[in-house]
Amino acid sequence: MKKFLSVLLLVTLTASMLAACGSSNSDSKTADSTDQGGASKKKVIAWAWDPSFNGAALKIAKELYQKEHPDFDLEVVDMAKADLEQKLNTNLAAGVKEGLPDIILVNDPNIQKYVASYPNTFADFTDKVDFTKFSPYKVDALRVDNKIYGVPFDIGVTGMFYRSDYLEQAGYSAKDLENITWDQYIAIGKKVKEKTGKYMATINPNDEALTSILLQSAGSWYITPENKGNFVNNPAMTETLRVYKAIADSGIAKPVTGWSEFVGSFNAGDVATVVSGVWQVSSIMDAKDQSGKWKVAPIPKLNVQGGVNASNEGGSSWFVLNNSANKDTAIDFLAKTIGGSSEFYERFLKENGGVGSYIPAFSSAAYSEKPEFFGGQAIYRDFTDWSKKVPGISLGMYTQEAKDALKNELPNILQGADLTQSLTNIQSLFEQQVK
Amino acid sequence: MKKITPIMVHTFLILASIISLFPFLWMLMGMTNTSSDILKGKFGFGSMLMDNIHKLQGMTHLGAAFYNSTIIAVVGTIITLFLSSMAGYGFEIYHSKAKSRLFGLLMLSMMMPFAAVMIPLFRMFSNMGLLNTPTAVVLPSITTAFMIFFFLQNTKSFPRELLQAGRVDGLNEWRLFTLIYVPTMKPTYAAAAIITFMNYWNSFLWPLIALQTQDKKTLPLVVSSLASSYNPDYGIIMVAIVVTTLPSVVIFFLLQKQFVQGMLGSVK
Repeated sequence: MKKFLSVLLLVTLTASMLAACGSSNSDSKTADSTDQGGASKKKVIAWAWDPSFNGAALKIAKELYQKEHPDFDLEVVDMAKADLEQKLNTNLAAGVKEGLPDIILVNDPNIQKYVASYPNTFADFTDKVDFTKFSPYKVDALRVDNKIYGVPFDIGVTGMFYRSDYLEQAGYSAKDLENITWDQYIAIGKKVKEKTGKYMATINPNDEALTSILLQSAGSWYITPENKGNFVNNPAMTETLRVYKAIADSGIAKPVTGWSEFVGSFNAGDVATVVSGVWQVSSIMDAKDQSGKWKVAPIPKLNVQGGVNASNEGGSSWFVLNNSANKDTAIDFLAKTIGGSSEFYERFLKENGGVGSYIPAFSSAAYSEKPEFFGGQAIYRDFTDWSKKVPGISLGMYTQEAKDALKNELPNILQGADLTQSLTNIQSLFEQQVK
Repeated sequence: MKKITPIMVHTFLILASIISLFPFLWMLMGMTNTSSDILKGKFGFGSMLMDNIHKLQGMTHLGAAFYNSTIIAVVGTIITLFLSSMAGYGFEIYHSKAKSRLFGLLMLSMMMPFAAVMIPLFRMFSNMGLLNTPTAVVLPSITTAFMIFFFLQNTKSFPRELLQAGRVDGLNEWRLFTLIYVPTMKPTYAAAAIITFMNYWNSFLWPLIALQTQDKKTLPLVVSSLASSYNPDYGIIMVAIVVTTLPSVVIFFLLQKQFVQGMLGSVK
């Protein structure tokens, strides 16, 4: 009995200790919130994942908005993208509002999944922003059942960054790289390898960035707008994988295993070209010793109907949560800045190198700047020109699952398995996963 | 070649330690280099250490995160050791058939992946109003099946004669535990302390979900948020990782001797 009592005593002790610890915290929290209420400042909370990019963009927007709404305040919470998605999913799946922000950054391929999985969770922006002022492909990504669920933010319009010194050495001028096909690209790559000993590109069999770029450049995607697998009987897909294998087989690509090795190989000057989104500019400019040696050309195109020399890699948009206490303030804030201010986009480009899809900003001085690093080329004007040509696609709900199914089969394809058979395998694997 | 000579043993051990120490060395070198040097694969020390530290200070509240991590890990470890050792002691010393069945059931809980209980757990803590507190991080793991099992296994080698002698001397059950069992099992406690401390210190998923504001974040969460940008600065990340790793290293070296003993069994 004594033993029981002492255990009981200890349990109570521990519990009270923990409770004390907990309650003191919740006390301070309530104190905080009354403070906010008392000062009549409308504090909007936003989640973003890169303090030097999208987090910084919000801070610019905040400064602009505060000029007309001095009582507005914004707190940006930075966390890793995967962490942000994990937290959001847990909160929404558990149906817990506590701890959710007012504004959230969403990666474009996740848009449809979120809107479909958590109906009535995200605010409808259809009449809040003039979407005709944005690149159409970007607005297409935000449209679900004829409603538009957010404000378009950064884009990943792609370009072919190249080392002009290496290509000159191999006998190619800027003109030779305009509007080429992927087969021409491979031929140039072989010449570069022969003359300079440098690789033309990197290849990572565990990464689907290149296949995504290729598919969108032909207006196609891994899945159809009806969320079915788009692998079988899809000429764009067949051509994409043929090109992918041809690049791997030709020996012009340096195999890399991850992001840091990919960035490292062009920072170290090992490759002559990088086909990537416009946001790659900042990583390329990290290698200060290579200033003046880089240029950008449009990406090569697929030799199929509808194939163009422009595509997109990545990009994100801002959502507002319907349940947030500051919903109207948050919507107005986004609509007046990121959704309709040319000044915002000019500053975002100048200060953080970020490119948006807001067309009126494209004619501003910031976008016609000619950085020394790229040999005086007006790269942003070029990128925005290309962004108007990017085919619009529906990213659907199961992009990630479809990419995973492809990745699973990619090694077989690279080893020379029959492509038609492989595509059938991918299709059935995908259908098993999403059933 | 009948004998393995000390030279061979040493060569093997030196090679093995170089391999296992390399990541640490890489981390320390990374601290002193710029991000693009790290990406290029530069092997050697640079001169950017102060610069990286300075930039890191500007970006995050490392001090607050360090404090949060320490509170959670220290308080959590003390409570876990206390409760789990009592449970392990109880299962073994007051043995009965029903209890071993109960213990079997407890072992089954080790097979439950955390992700499966996360959402209900999150709801529960939300209803209790405990989200965004250190309590929420500590509470779900104050007793773990593994720790109870660890103490139970070690208690098997504990000489019961000591307890009988104590009873003869008139100690009650509680004092038998605190005055005889706990001091004898010190090495086991040390080993358990290291394991538990590391678990709390490195835990990621649950703190990520349960802690909601910046000022409550723990170190692994801060490191994770640094590594997230499109163009992460690896020099700064290396500094943050060193800060995060250091306490575990210090604790391990402090308790190393006891740890090895504890793994071998407390009582010989």
